[in-house]
Amino acid sequence: MNYLKIYFLNLYSYVLFAIYSAVCIPLLVLFIALMSLMLGHRRAMKLVRRAIAWWSRGIMLVPYPFVKVRYENNSGDETGEPYIFVCNHRSFSDGFLMAVLPVEGVQVVNIWPFRIPVIGFFARLAGYLNIRMMQTEEFFEKALGLLRDNVSIIFFPEGTRSGSRKMGNFHSSAFRLALKSKAPIVPLCISGSENIPPKGSLLMRPGTIRVRRLQAITWSEYNEWSLYTLKNKVREIIGNELALMEQGA
Amino acid sequence: MNEQEIIDITNKVFEESFEIEKDRLKPEAHIFTDLGLDSLDIVDLVAALQKSFGVNIRNEEKVRNIRTLQDIYDFISTIKREGH
Repeated sequence: MNYLKIYFLNLYSYVLFAIYSAVCIPLLVLFIALMSLMLGHRRAMKLVRRAIAWWSRGIMLVPYPFVKVRYENNSGDETGEPYIFVCNHRSFSDGFLMAVLPVEGVQVVNIWPFRIPVIGFFARLAGYLNIRMMQTEEFFEKALGLLRDNVSIIFFPEGTRSGSRKMGNFHSSAFRLALKSKAPIVPLCISGSENIPPKGSLLMRPGTIRVRRLQAITWSEYNEWSLYTLKNKVREIIGNELALMEQGA
Repeated sequence: MNEQEIIDITNKVFEESFEIEKDRLKPEAHIFTDLGLDSLDIVDLVAALQKSFGVNIRNEEKVRNIRTLQDIYDFISTIKREGH
């Protein structure tokens, strides 16, 4: 029965993904192309990022009710945009989950998402930062420029999908950027995505994904911390919250 | 400087500069996958080792080959012996 459910979920979801994308993407491209004629570069980029959020929202709705996504905002009232979002990473779906955050954001990604047809094209178009293919100075220059333009930067500091509930070590780039930019850091916890789909597979399992946004850590709080204190504290905050989420909190 | 002193000072660098707990500092620990350093951290590591050991680390090829804590102990041992 469970296998039947999984096969049905995947069959109907991937068919719908394909139909939805085949209709939605050309319309969005056309819309962006027409609007770009009237808008300046900055506003056109904002529109591209918004279009990715619209498309991603649809992608996330397709597997419903087998896959449910719940966003939980535990951050309180914040008006400190732009942010540096720091998020654990378990699955391919995490990129879509981040694309729909209610901010204009650019994700810092590995090489492989850039190589996926369509997704890679839009990632490049939206100015996503491929940290593995950029020089360090170029990366920070671009990221700082985006923050100055009020664009949030979204990091998966583990650098790769953990594929399980175990969180990997954090790389330091997000925290180096924070110390350079003084931007608030928002810890984000994704729970339940590890099987949607599991690392190394495209076969999604039914489940509920929860994305919990925690209170931002502001420059006034972290300005006296060292790079590694900051990195370790943020990892600890995310790890502790994930443990609570996995106990049902 | 004997081998134990090199181990102690190197471990102290990891504890103090990178805030890595003592029990994770095993000779076989991979500095990237086990201790969580990345390529940018290597610059900080080299600076911290230079300061702690009073040496000048210039041989980039040897630095690039470092993978584990034991590799660092051996590397420091070699440059201390060579009198850098």
